[in-house]
Amino acid sequence: MLEIKGLVAGYGGGEVLHGIDLSVNEGEGVIVLGPNGHGKTTLLRAITGLLPPRAGQVLLDGKDITRWRPDSIAAAGLIHIPQGDLLFPEMTVTENLLMGAYNRGTWSERSTRLARVYELFPWLKERGSQLARTLSGGERRMLALGRGLMSKARLLVIDEPSLGLAPLTTQQIYASIHKVKEGGLSLLIADENANHIAGLADRVYLLETGSLVRQGAADELLRDKALLESYLG
Amino acid sequence: MSTQFVQALWGGILFGSVYGLMALGLTLVWGAVRLLNLAHGAIFVVGAYAAYFVVSRLNLPILVALPFGVLAAAAFAYVMHVVFIRPVIGKPGFDNSTLIATVGISIAVSAAAILIFNPTYKVIPALIAGNFTVSEVQITKQGLLVVGTSLALFGLVYLFLTYTRLGMAIRAVSQQQEAASLMSIPVERTYGIVIAISGALAGLAGVLLSPFFFLNPNSGFNPMIQALIVTIFGGLGSVRGALVAGFVLGIFESFVEVYYGVAWAQPGVFLLIILMLILRPNGLFGIGEVRRL
Repeated sequence: MLEIKGLVAGYGGGEVLHGIDLSVNEGEGVIVLGPNGHGKTTLLRAITGLLPPRAGQVLLDGKDITRWRPDSIAAAGLIHIPQGDLLFPEMTVTENLLMGAYNRGTWSERSTRLARVYELFPWLKERGSQLARTLSGGERRMLALGRGLMSKARLLVIDEPSLGLAPLTTQQIYASIHKVKEGGLSLLIADENANHIAGLADRVYLLETGSLVRQGAADELLRDKALLESYLG
Repeated sequence: MSTQFVQALWGGILFGSVYGLMALGLTLVWGAVRLLNLAHGAIFVVGAYAAYFVVSRLNLPILVALPFGVLAAAAFAYVMHVVFIRPVIGKPGFDNSTLIATVGISIAVSAAAILIFNPTYKVIPALIAGNFTVSEVQITKQGLLVVGTSLALFGLVYLFLTYTRLGMAIRAVSQQQEAASLMSIPVERTYGIVIAISGALAGLAGVLLSPFFFLNPNSGFNPMIQALIVTIFGGLGSVRGALVAGFVLGIFESFVEVYYGVAWAQPGVFLLIILMLILRPNGLFGIGEVRRL
């Protein structure tokens, strides 16, 4: 459903990504593994329109969305859970979630969607009227995830789901991503830890200094501990 | 109650609601777009002259002219956004270029008003004529209308921002622009809507206030300056702050004027502002560096 060809992107004078080819099929879980600072976030931002690519193509169901604005890309079902969560700090938990359903076709179904997200994260319901800026790190991540799930997402793009979280919270987050995948949603996740993604990943790409250096089926690549260690340290 | 007291109180309530009404539009645009719109007074004038045109040249009643003035002001504000604001959004120097552009627009509008209508003072009729007396103080019905309209609009804007899809999207854009775009909210179009709403509020103020002090090409300047003071006093970007600060400053000014003379009104207000900025540098309802909607 998502196909990326020769994607080049960067900031200012520097080029970060040097021609990325990557694809995600319907219902598939694709993980981009790589150490910090090798371009994972840049890749996701270039895909969802936050950073206009310098060259290359992003195709969604064969349609060229490379030059689309982020809001149009989101409306097409490519939903980005960004690094740092980027919550709306002065809005309540419920209001944050409702914004995830902003798109016209989704807004009319917001109550059923809200109920579904509350089912996945019962904790969010308890904190419904609390302001987002008062939440802890793990709570924020859940809210960011829940907010993304309020949309009619077809492909969920998640930037380092466990970044900055305690081990127990990390487990909870990955468990909920598992549930989301079982529901049939396609996933594209950037991560730096191979241990978290076992069972979540169908295919894995290894990203190093802005290029994809290896790709393959998750069971093969993730079994190769020596390889992973050399890449991720 | 003494005549003096009633006079000061009524004057203060009237000033306060006028200041609040102008400040509401300014604070909305600051909160959402981070734009200090120095053309707010010019938009006030556009609304007032549009209504004047309908009344004096087309000979239609003021009730028809009012919505026309409001729409003209909103349309003018929106065009200003498309032509001057939108092209520099997110570019370095946004603050300076929009400040200069909005001052330029103000100058152009008053020049255009002189060319089209000539510089003599115009009269716009009140929406409702007549008055009544409380403790020998004359209270005009138009004045009551202004107070009521201002309060009602604050209520409406609050409900709009809190409960509607578009209103919530405006707050989302003001708080976390990038995340808003990831929620499929079209950021620039939302900016345009906020600026048009703010323009409509300024236009309404222009039509409702002109019966009190004749309309001229620079009529909007003083209300805008007062609104700027109110907005800073209340906390830039705070809707509640604009309401409270509007009345606090209006009533304070009016009491100083009635009890100590007109000469002390403006210095008194500035003294109050200076004191407040020392005690609460972010304004009454400012939190952190900038208050968001």
